[in-house]
Amino acid sequence: MDKISIPIGPQHPLLKEPLSMMVDIAGEKVLGGSLRLGYVHRGIERLAQQRTYVQNVHLIERICGICSHVHTTAYCYAVEALLGIEIPPRAQYIRALMCELERIHSHLLWLGILAKHIGLETIFMHTWHDREMALDIMEEISGGRVSHAANQIGGVRFDLDEEHIDMIRGILKKLHSQVDGLVDIIETEPAAMARTKGVAPISPDMIKAYGVVGPVARASGVDIDLRRDAPLPPYDQLEVKVVTHPGGDAWARTFVRAEETRVSLNLCEKILEDLPEGDVSLRTPRRVPEGEVIIRAEAPRGELFYYLRSDGSDKPARLKVRTPTLATLSLLPVQLAEINVADIPVVLAGVDLCIACADR
Amino acid sequence: MEKFKKRLTILNAVIEALIKGPETVKYPFGDLALPEGYRGKIEFDPDKCSGCGLCVRDCPADALQLNKKSREEYTLLYYPARCAYCGQCEDSCHHGAISHSNNLVGATTHKDDWVLVFKESKASQE
Amino acid sequence: MIKSLFNLLVFPGFLFLVMSGLTFEWLDRKFLARFQRRVGPPWYQPLADLIKLFSKEDLLPKNANDFLAALLPLVSLASVLTAGLYVPIAGYKAFSFEGDLIVIIFLMSVPTLAYYLAGIISLGIYSVLGGGRSLLQFFSYEVPLLIALSGPAILGGSWSVSTIMEAQVNLGPFILFQPLGFILAVIGLIGKLKRDPFDIPKAKSEVVGGSLTEFSGPTLGFWNLVMDIQAVIGIFLLIDLYFGWTKMSHPSLAIIIFIIECLILVLILSGTSAIFARLRIDQLAGLGWRILVPLALLQLGLIILMGN
Repeated sequence: MDKISIPIGPQHPLLKEPLSMMVDIAGEKVLGGSLRLGYVHRGIERLAQQRTYVQNVHLIERICGICSHVHTTAYCYAVEALLGIEIPPRAQYIRALMCELERIHSHLLWLGILAKHIGLETIFMHTWHDREMALDIMEEISGGRVSHAANQIGGVRFDLDEEHIDMIRGILKKLHSQVDGLVDIIETEPAAMARTKGVAPISPDMIKAYGVVGPVARASGVDIDLRRDAPLPPYDQLEVKVVTHPGGDAWARTFVRAEETRVSLNLCEKILEDLPEGDVSLRTPRRVPEGEVIIRAEAPRGELFYYLRSDGSDKPARLKVRTPTLATLSLLPVQLAEINVADIPVVLAGVDLCIACADR
Repeated sequence: MEKFKKRLTILNAVIEALIKGPETVKYPFGDLALPEGYRGKIEFDPDKCSGCGLCVRDCPADALQLNKKSREEYTLLYYPARCAYCGQCEDSCHHGAISHSNNLVGATTHKDDWVLVFKESKASQE
Repeated sequence: MIKSLFNLLVFPGFLFLVMSGLTFEWLDRKFLARFQRRVGPPWYQPLADLIKLFSKEDLLPKNANDFLAALLPLVSLASVLTAGLYVPIAGYKAFSFEGDLIVIIFLMSVPTLAYYLAGIISLGIYSVLGGGRSLLQFFSYEVPLLIALSGPAILGGSWSVSTIMEAQVNLGPFILFQPLGFILAVIGLIGKLKRDPFDIPKAKSEVVGGSLTEFSGPTLGFWNLVMDIQAVIGIFLLIDLYFGWTKMSHPSLAIIIFIIECLILVLILSGTSAIFARLRIDQLAGLGWRILVPLALLQLGLIILMGN
């Protein structure tokens, strides 16, 4: 059969963010693909050098529209490390609470997109409806649905009172039962199973060779999670259950993410239970002493890496961000080879790309 | 049996959805119920402003502009179309002159002309 | 003469079928929306879409065959409307002859072939892919559908839809004798209508818009109309074959029962599209030939035994 190249992206119903792929196919078989990136490059790393540390908190938040909070958390921990201060424990816990809520809404968002791509539009609608609960919590406590602006250098910008905590507990309980139902559906729906089982498996060796992190790595049986392996402050006191699955295929990734959502829900409840008393922020100087620092945090999609160098002024000398999506992207052409055309959406959705993160 | 019950979850969810009805808020007619702390439209209290310019320095989106001739003679301009509604100005102001209300932000057809004069001091008006 | 013209143009011809096609589309979208906790479109939405499409410009890629592209939906429309004339609606039969069931089935297959051709001639990559898929799908669902539809014909002792329908007045609805056959026929109908979960030829995330990716304006409007009318004729046909006609003291009561049966079928179609994921084309072929065909043959054997 003749070889034809089909373009997927920059504009395609399959993609929510611009990414260009040329996929070579023969009939219904995919021979391989090539990637083009950079459609949402905004030069954020360079922009960060021209703004003060305080302004950068809000700039960094706009790197990603889904995992915005974990970006600012990593950045703030980096600046605080350079300043040599430790933020109050209550602020650390509130940061972790937001991180976990973000993981819940990111994973639910992803579950909906996968369901939509395999033709289960009902699950897409129901998942996004349930995801709205997590967003409601964040809107209620921080004032923003997606751009929470929760972090500031030296702590967080809001405090939780008893009323908030009761409200969050109530919503989390409701969300828990909804997530259980969704997991039941995705684990038993025969057509969904047939579409995801055995699709584009990745071996643990490939994961290590390409440096893939996060749920994709855990779904191949690679047991890594920075919340346990190199914890940022509140996580060293919390016990994080790391979900892994040896499968390596799209189904295993579904399973890992679904279970992680439940782990995060439990973690949220634990954080609310353990929430220490005290202040939520410290006053900090505007100028940051000379030095450099590396901070790693576990974003919903895997390891997030921040490098910050200061020259003693009120603006960073260099900020380098490495997002988890970058490694996943490099594995994409390998995964696309030798699959069915109908499996392209499953592969693309299964690895949970965040192009805005990767391009910055 | 357990597995069969799980398999019926989707049917359950669909029937439940049919009974419960749509979740959509018909916005201009329905109640949107924004929380108390929602960062919406910015409100300004000119009496409290001292013209220090801290908000202007910290604004990440260049939405605020201070034209200052002297301590008494200044104008504080605000460009809502540039604003990111991050709340940094509210944090930076030591006098509590800037605050967020939980109203939604209005719309405009000419974003470049959309400028609000937050404060024009007596001296500069004359 | 006037009766024939009335049959052709008003009932059960063009006007009635177009109206019921649009109503079907609205009901389907509304049901699906409610299953997904959405509001759904207002009742005039399908009509508004149609008017909008007819007032738009017809654009195709440079070297595409414009004449064929305009002709194909018209041919499909003509064939489904012709098929509609032989399907009794609410007990009213306009035309009928012995063997019209076979004619209906083959007239209903014309849009699928035209859909494939439309994909080939419009010269888009996605169109060609979608067209090829629609042909592959055709071979998967058509055989079980045909075998399933021959069940009522054997029970009713005739290949004429109206005779089969009238036979059920005495024998009772055929769905009671062959529930399996009814399920297979519904599955086949879903395949024929390219609806979720068998919307493989027009799967948005895989082949964008399928065969109709490059189409716009009146041509696309006609295509949408063809799909809608095909759906209502399929529903009427299944009701005639499996539920038949109930004799009531008053004819309007029977018509109400017919409408309720139609609504139940629409609900089944919307429900299946809401709760099942789309299959891959190889999985559909496997399902069709490994599961549906043996089941259909089993049902056929049971019916023949029953007849004896």
